Amino acid sequence: MTEELSSKPGNKKSIAFITRAAPYGRGNSKLCLEMALACAVFEQEVNYIFLDDGVYQLLRNQNASDIDSNSLGDTLEALELYGIENVCVDENSLRKRNLKAEDLLDNIKLVDQNTISSLLTQSDCVFNL
Amino acid sequence: MKFSIVIYAAPYSSEAAATALRFSQAALKNGHEVYRLFFFGDGVHNASRLTVVSQDEKNIQQQWQQLIDEHKLDCVVCVSSAIKRGIVDKTESTRYEMNAVSAHENFEVAGLGQLIDATLNSDRVVNFG
Amino acid sequence: MSILHTISRSPSSDLLKSCAGLLGEDDGILFIEDGIYYCADNSSLSEVATKVKLYALKEDIEARGMQSRSSADIDLIDYARFVEICCDYDKVVSWF
Repeated sequence: MTEELSSKPGNKKSIAFITRAAPYGRGNSKLCLEMALACAVFEQEVNYIFLDDGVYQLLRNQNASDIDSNSLGDTLEALELYGIENVCVDENSLRKRNLKAEDLLDNIKLVDQNTISSLLTQSDCVFNL
Repeated sequence: MKFSIVIYAAPYSSEAAATALRFSQAALKNGHEVYRLFFFGDGVHNASRLTVVSQDEKNIQQQWQQLIDEHKLDCVVCVSSAIKRGIVDKTESTRYEMNAVSAHENFEVAGLGQLIDATLNSDRVVNFG
Repeated sequence: MSILHTISRSPSSDLLKSCAGLLGEDDGILFIEDGIYYCADNSSLSEVATKVKLYALKEDIEARGMQSRSSADIDLIDYARFVEICCDYDKVVSWF
């Protein structure tokens, strides 16, 4: 990206993303990720939160080549590399869907709703889709 | 206050684009500033200049164009969402040798950096999808 | 730091349930678009009505003929107030 921001350097905000859509079926999971990656490129502090059906994005063994998509899991596995360090999943959403930590990609923090609630409170801006 | 408004929905498929339009009109009427309108995902269809609606319907795209004109609003269509949905301005049309322009001239086709910039420079970011 | 949550899908979406788990005590909820059908869904509302302030967008209520079905706990507001309550809360989180 070669764009420049009109804001002063050092202007850093904390931006939270709640990703609530399952992968592939609708475009929202991809849009949410695009926004978060852009935030990271522009060196904002990003909190990335998987909620509701969004937790399905984290399942291991995704192979979307036969539906002509890139596997979302591959990108999600590399979030830290892109500068998105705080990645967490709502344990309540997992429980409801009969999923366990070992079903998911590595390096994802399981958190409770109070933790998510305070993350939202601390963030300057929240995107939810 | 300074608002930025993010629109994820195409007009007519759901109410969200029309809600965003009415919200923007109300914010300006109340004396607030709209720092930027940002159209993302299916929301880019709001920028089309090639629309006709039946006589008993309101043309949402035209209403956006009027609002933007009247208040000289800064208005961005996300380039990656736009070009894959056939919303191209002169620059993109030339770049891809398309020989047609579908984005209204009031809309700037640019990257997600403009959304990050909007979150950094607005008091409130309000999303409609 | 208070949050205004907007909900724009009907109760079959379960969005209120997702939102309710994350509410802070100073938050508010505004029902818009098909979200206004929550205004007549007392079992869903009972969980949040005692916790936070509830609003619904008058224009969307009237469009759907739901004026007389809406719970008394809900403050009906127009677009002008929608804008102003966005300023009253520290940020806006949209559920759609």
